[in-house]
Amino acid sequence: MKLTERRFVLLLLLPATLFLAAFVAYPLFLLIRDSFYEVSIYASAERVFVGADNYVHALTSSRVRESAQRTLNYTMIALTAEFVLGFAAALLFNAMGRRSEILRTVFAFPLMIPPIVAGLLWRFMLIDNIGIVNHVLEHLGIIADSSDISWLGDRDLVLFSVALPNIWLTTSFVALVLYTGLQNIPSELIEAAKIDGAGALQVFRRVTVPLLRPVIAVVLILRGIDAARAFDMIWIQTEGGPRFASEILSIHIYRNMIRYGNVGEASAIATLFMLAMVVISSIAFFTIWGQGTSQS
Amino acid sequence: MKKLVFLCTVVALCLLALTAGAQEPATLTVLVEQGGLWLQEAAAKQFEEDTGHTVEFVNVPYGSVFDRLSAEMATGGAAFDVATIDVVWMSHFAPFAEPLDDLFTEEVIGDLFASLVADAQIDGTFIGMPTWANTEIIFYRKDLWEDPDEQAAFEAEYGYPLAPPATWQEFTDMAMYFTRDYDGDGEIDMYGTDVKGGVADFEWMIAVLQAGSPGVVLDADHNIIIDNEEHVAGLEYYISHHCDMDVAPPNVNEIDWGVAENLFYQSQTAMFRFWGHAYRLTRGDSPIADLVGAAPMIAGPGGVGAIPGPWFNIVPKTSANKELAIELVQYLYDNNAMGIEAPLGLAARKSAYASYADVEGYENLNPLLETLDSPQTIGRPAVADWQQIADEILGPIGSDALTCEQDPSELLAWGRTELEAMGYD
Repeated sequence: MKLTERRFVLLLLLPATLFLAAFVAYPLFLLIRDSFYEVSIYASAERVFVGADNYVHALTSSRVRESAQRTLNYTMIALTAEFVLGFAAALLFNAMGRRSEILRTVFAFPLMIPPIVAGLLWRFMLIDNIGIVNHVLEHLGIIADSSDISWLGDRDLVLFSVALPNIWLTTSFVALVLYTGLQNIPSELIEAAKIDGAGALQVFRRVTVPLLRPVIAVVLILRGIDAARAFDMIWIQTEGGPRFASEILSIHIYRNMIRYGNVGEASAIATLFMLAMVVISSIAFFTIWGQGTSQS
Repeated sequence: MKKLVFLCTVVALCLLALTAGAQEPATLTVLVEQGGLWLQEAAAKQFEEDTGHTVEFVNVPYGSVFDRLSAEMATGGAAFDVATIDVVWMSHFAPFAEPLDDLFTEEVIGDLFASLVADAQIDGTFIGMPTWANTEIIFYRKDLWEDPDEQAAFEAEYGYPLAPPATWQEFTDMAMYFTRDYDGDGEIDMYGTDVKGGVADFEWMIAVLQAGSPGVVLDADHNIIIDNEEHVAGLEYYISHHCDMDVAPPNVNEIDWGVAENLFYQSQTAMFRFWGHAYRLTRGDSPIADLVGAAPMIAGPGGVGAIPGPWFNIVPKTSANKELAIELVQYLYDNNAMGIEAPLGLAARKSAYASYADVEGYENLNPLLETLDSPQTIGRPAVADWQQIADEILGPIGSDALTCEQDPSELLAWGRTELEAMGYD
């Protein structure tokens, strides 16, 4: 049999396809299948088909609704902070040119820290009375007593607090990707805009941002997905507390699946979560990237 | 010729019997977390020397014991011959565990705390052998309690001598007395005690038992008792140190066991209720390293009460070496006292604790023994969905009560409706 170019391509794709089928498609199939059954983690062979009951329960559960809202809030907090800080750092590096080399290397250090370590680190820094953050704030005179801010104990504040390690870890990733994007913008375009009388703000708005749009799309989608499915950093800090105030969907699913053994219901919530992520990512992708490519 | 045939037959039978009797050296795999490893390592080594078999420990973090064993259970795997598990998982793994009734002779039962004997069986079948039992006792600062000036001042103010607290009232009095603003700047430098809102799904139930409740949340027949008057009294006492008086750090939601331990050992609290093993683990660099005293858990109207935190050795039904695994479980029980030499310094047998109670450095054992042996020291109900009850009902009740804005009786009534929704009566 002649090895045509088409067959050669298919041959090259085969290992990856087999890998994806075994380790992505098959587990996904099991997840979706389990979502239609009542099945206990302790006796998975004894399963009862319940149709769409698990989905109905998930969609009508106030706990799921609240967790979904918290997931959205957490993602928005983490993403906004990472994007604003990361973009500012990228613009700074770009303006500094080659002098930013050392700074960029130092800036990338948090990326090497495992999320669980970052979570633990921030947990001990944020605990009032004995945490370093409140002690520093007290010494600076910003708060009167080291117990004034209960970072991880205040239900209104905890979602912001558990987002801190995420922001701390991944702002550098956003900055470095955006910096690479800035480096690829042709300097002729910027110079031409300046010759035409555009100010720095206009150059940024009319040239830099539109040309950076595909990179921004990739960063926002990647970081958005990553923040939405955060688990370890939050679990190690609060286990979703106090009183579920930092329980996002991934924690709710874990709690249901592993701690309570409700495989069916947890699978239904996980399937809905996955579908929502696909839809939101697709909308974001076509909105941001689509506009950017049509303009360019 | 007949003689020769007879002789050959006898020799052959003897050889056969010898071969059958000799046990091939086997490897037993034991699933543990760090505590289980520390407390059983020495006895397991001795088992290896005595029998020629090998014991391999698989040491995983606390939560992974549950996850790994659940995976084994779901897949029918035979990776572990013995697993050392927390009491709260016993009912989960009951269908997966080999019955151990033969090990529980009268002598064995007589040497174990009543709460451990109750926790060791599910539906009347013994499935786990206690390997160590821990519970919360009182830790206090000896330098404060034994200071003659403090003793005189306390007696003058409260009308009775200063000694480690034995009752609810004494605990509250001493918490108030030792809450101090040393430098007079209006900020408290040392609190009398703590309120652990970070473990609100557990901590307030201890006070429920001290109030005299026959159990926590559910009675022995698994009927709902979460709204009985002892639960109300216990919850009210638990929150009183935070809501009614300023004797505990205010950030209650952040205070779990780890933080509470740090606060005490950094001398930010004068006394606290904590797991007995911590006495042996006092860090040398703590400013109060040599000043820690231990006393039995306090008594409420119902007497001294606590929730035991025992761990059990179970033999999974899937083990390929079930008989030998049971032999190891028996051996670990027989040599249970060896665990007391380990860093955690814990055991399950009364005789093991008693044998070390007068040894220097083990001053926590008598308080532990007394607390564990109290009739009001009662284990959590052995129901499969206990974790769900703890996370979804007990934690929220504790957290909401600590806001000091909700009535404990109403919160407990809500707990009843939630339990009814889960199928309990």
